[in-house]
Amino acid sequence: MRNALAIARKELSIYFTTPLAYGVTTVVVLFSAFLFMGLLQTFVQMQEIARAYTWARMPPDYNMYKNLTDGVIIPLWGIVIILTVFAAPLLSMGLFAKEKREHTLELLMTTPIRPWELVIGKYLGGLGVTSITLGSTFLFPVILAAFGSSESGQALEWQTVALGFLGLVLLGALAVAFTMLISSFTQTQLLAAFIGIVGMLVWLLVRGVAQMAEEPLRSIVGQVSLDGHLQSMMRGVVELKGLVLFISSIAFLLFLTHRKIESERWA
Amino acid sequence: MAMIEVHNLTKRYRDRVAVDSLTFAVNEGEILGFLGPNGAGKSTTMRMLTGFLPPSDGSAKIAGFDVFDSPLEVKRRIGYLPEAPPLYVEMTVRGYLKFVAQLKGVPRKQMKEELDRVARTAAVTDVMDRVIQNLSKGYRQRVGLAQALLASPPVLIMDEPQEGLDPQQRIEFRELIKGLAGKHTVILSTHVLSEVTKTCQKALIIKQGKMVAYDDIGKLAASQQVDGGEPISLEEAFIKLTAA
Repeated sequence: MRNALAIARKELSIYFTTPLAYGVTTVVVLFSAFLFMGLLQTFVQMQEIARAYTWARMPPDYNMYKNLTDGVIIPLWGIVIILTVFAAPLLSMGLFAKEKREHTLELLMTTPIRPWELVIGKYLGGLGVTSITLGSTFLFPVILAAFGSSESGQALEWQTVALGFLGLVLLGALAVAFTMLISSFTQTQLLAAFIGIVGMLVWLLVRGVAQMAEEPLRSIVGQVSLDGHLQSMMRGVVELKGLVLFISSIAFLLFLTHRKIESERWA
Repeated sequence: MAMIEVHNLTKRYRDRVAVDSLTFAVNEGEILGFLGPNGAGKSTTMRMLTGFLPPSDGSAKIAGFDVFDSPLEVKRRIGYLPEAPPLYVEMTVRGYLKFVAQLKGVPRKQMKEELDRVARTAAVTDVMDRVIQNLSKGYRQRVGLAQALLASPPVLIMDEPQEGLDPQQRIEFRELIKGLAGKHTVILSTHVLSEVTKTCQKALIIKQGKMVAYDDIGKLAASQQVDGGEPISLEEAFIKLTAA
């Protein structure tokens, strides 16, 4: 494990001395700040309208604008989901591809470390930087909590906010594992990022396509698709099957990456 | 005692044979010059010895451990400098060497001492806190060398280690290699033949993946001498051996 941590530390130190992580984080924060402002503006307008007409006379789907958590943070997380699908593969595209291109994999493969230590170390590095990037969006609920107010005490329902954020981190963690696997097959970082992004988008949204399919395929694909599970987490509902889907998929992808790295010794 | 034993080592890529049933042994403390024209299979052989590339056939043993069956045991005993020094150019020399030392299992308490030692040996002490990206080719090569020397492995495998060094550095490198003789077993590949005569005791010449000669440097030249003719140099012997 010491070796894995040494590799993770090395990954993080390179992330913080090169522009990539800063660039991706900046874009994520800029985009979400922009959308946050838009959501906040709509929220304020809706509150004003409601004040004039009272909530009872508003259409029922405007009820989400009754509080900041439902009216601002949940839609914000919904958008950050899409940003995550782009950010996490861009951050993890180089995990193996860059080592191959720069011949440093030759170093890692000839030092006395086990392949699983290499895979776990790499994964922790990618997961660390992705969590930091996503963590920057936690700024927005903090701003709301500092400056917002609510009739019923706290401005935000922190449980719901945190669970939504956990959903984002799980999605990021899955995207890192998926892109790292692709990265172990190629020397071209951008190819790994491209396949990572497309693959994650499909995985996220495949439920929509599955609506056209016959049963039982429709139910199976619906369960495997990520958006349903994420949406329930965003609403503050913890579902065991969602957690199991994420954790087991990550474990399986890490296992495949390990097989790929291990097989370089044979083929 | 044979530190490196290679038996029938073969590497095939589809229809091309890169290394063709090499068999040789290197005794402990010997310095072997590994020679051959470009594309003869030197780098491929070295990669198989370090466990980076799997052989298609045959076996290699380092200190009695099979490269394929006990890779960790082998890797603990090898310092490897590949053809392209495997550097993380974003890191400082110190950060890089520390990272490699951690992977090689250098204990934390001895870390500073060990880094200082290899930095002195490879003459990179004055660039330790510079980012590798900004170093010249010669310095990069020396950082690669420092990396191979970390944790004092008993076997050193170096692929064209003199590349990019200036004449003064070459002389220093020669002294360094000579200093390793006896304690370390060294295989170094090169196409600078004059280096071989000055640093190595033995030379192994391969051509198109096949071994054409393996002997003491002195005997190698003598073996190609025409009966009763002038004594010839290693260069001439090399050209004769790899020409046909």
